[in-house]
Amino acid sequence: MASRPDVTFLRRVPLFKDIDEPTLRALWPRLRERRVRKGEVLFRTNDPGDEMFLIFSGSVVVSKPVTGRVEQVLKHMVPGEAFGEMCVFGDEQTRSATIQADTDAMLLCLHRDDLNRFIEANPRAAARFFLEMARASFKRLRDTSDLVAEVTRWGLEATGLDVEHK
Amino acid sequence: MAGPGNPSDKAAADRPKRARIEILVRREDGDGFETREVASVSAYLESRPQRIPDADCELARLPAGLRGATTYVLKNRRTEDYLQITEPEKFLWEQMDGRSSLQEIGTAYVLHYGAFDFDIIPALIAKLRSAQLLTMRPASRLREVLARNRRNPAARGAEAVLHSLEKLTVTSRKSHDVFARIYRYGGFLLFTPAAGLALLVLVALGARGAVLLWSESGEVTAALARHPVAAILLVKLCFWLTVVSHQVMHALACVHYKRRVREFGFTMLHGFIPTFYVDVTDIFMASRRARIVNALAGPLVHLFLAALCLSVAGPLRPGLLKGFLAASAILQLQSLFVSLYPFCFLEMDGYHILVDALGAPTLKHDSVRFVRESLWPRLMSGARLGRQEVVWAAYFALSLVSIAGFVVLNVWVLVHASRG
Repeated sequence: MASRPDVTFLRRVPLFKDIDEPTLRALWPRLRERRVRKGEVLFRTNDPGDEMFLIFSGSVVVSKPVTGRVEQVLKHMVPGEAFGEMCVFGDEQTRSATIQADTDAMLLCLHRDDLNRFIEANPRAAARFFLEMARASFKRLRDTSDLVAEVTRWGLEATGLDVEHK
Repeated sequence: MAGPGNPSDKAAADRPKRARIEILVRREDGDGFETREVASVSAYLESRPQRIPDADCELARLPAGLRGATTYVLKNRRTEDYLQITEPEKFLWEQMDGRSSLQEIGTAYVLHYGAFDFDIIPALIAKLRSAQLLTMRPASRLREVLARNRRNPAARGAEAVLHSLEKLTVTSRKSHDVFARIYRYGGFLLFTPAAGLALLVLVALGARGAVLLWSESGEVTAALARHPVAAILLVKLCFWLTVVSHQVMHALACVHYKRRVREFGFTMLHGFIPTFYVDVTDIFMASRRARIVNALAGPLVHLFLAALCLSVAGPLRPGLLKGFLAASAILQLQSLFVSLYPFCFLEMDGYHILVDALGAPTLKHDSVRFVRESLWPRLMSGARLGRQEVVWAAYFALSLVSIAGFVVLNVWVLVHASRG
């Protein structure tokens, strides 16, 4: 990334909020800029991937295919939020959801190799990074289970299925 | 108009908001998309229920009931499920062609009947979905209680034992052919006027035998008392076997009216009462006469056996055999009474005859609900009860009095016996 390091932005990203400034300045050159236009699909479910993304500006929609052209919206993400880390650190190197731009957006992407080098070079920062990632994962897990409950409720209401009195 | 303190307002406020989900729909060219929120309620109204093909179902009209309202029985020929529906529900059923949305069906209902009951469509859909309404296996309250208390080792143990016993269930879903064969090779004779006449003659002989036994009652009971264990086991075992003939008669009556016997088997009722059962729910598709004959056929076996035992026992010399026959006859008469007595909250044969006569198929359920939820407020307000409500209240009161009478009688017998 050629521009001047934007430490203020990186501090807004929960994954990096506890990392000291010199380390963030060192990370900045490893981030590559990626612009997406409104409606453009960044990647689809099951696509291969080896990068994670930070939303610098704009917003994206995270969705999961349901049937035909219909998908379930899982989340809208806004500047400061990160996605794609499951593909970088997880067992499977394929995308678990589809990401498309809700508005014109600028993303910062971090390749797996660059992230690994950063982690190896900054073990203390890496510990904080992974702690935040664990917190983010727990929150997503909680959000997902809430969504499952809500979708189940939706299904019961939409079908008029009276399970309480059956 | 509902005020701020109105309970219905509070209930509405407490009710969670209808669920909404957000979906994303891609454009056909693959570029771009739109997202929109869909409320569960709109999905419900836009759904287009479709009834099963006409060839897979059967509709039979039932005679007018208490209110003079016509009802229908809907049968799913594939699953053999039955559903009783009202005239308005039949109208809604006919609208469910897979093309009309629930909103359109509701509109059609308003245009047809001039008013709308907001609960009728969800209730009908729930009914149409219920697949096991007429299963012959009663759900056990005991099992429910045990399941709720699984932390308790005793409850867990009892549940395991009951579970093992329930595995003793033997069921045949192909029993219809067997009963059809029995009917063809002689069973049909049981449904002739000659059989009725023979039963009457036997009952007369049995009555004569009972008179003879009455004069020797002391000797009869003394003979039983000399062999108490053998007498109890013998009487109970023979009685248990007669339960089979009760069920077989129901099955034969079902075949007689050209309906299907869905299932015949042996099970441990509630996990510990060994019993035979037969599923003759297909008789609901036949005439009222057929249903009443079917309900009577089983209990009449007890009358036949009681009369037979009494007529044979009467002339015999006092002894274990005479005592056994007399005790069996009493047990059979008791079974006849229990089977035919409708006021005991149990859905025995007599209950089915009563509800058929009244045209109130859910009498017990409606009666209990009415007494529990509405009777007291109605009495307090001084409102006059309608005919149907009087029937509900009467059924409940008679059943309650009958059960209380039964308990008192048994206590009296025990006290009397212990004094003697």
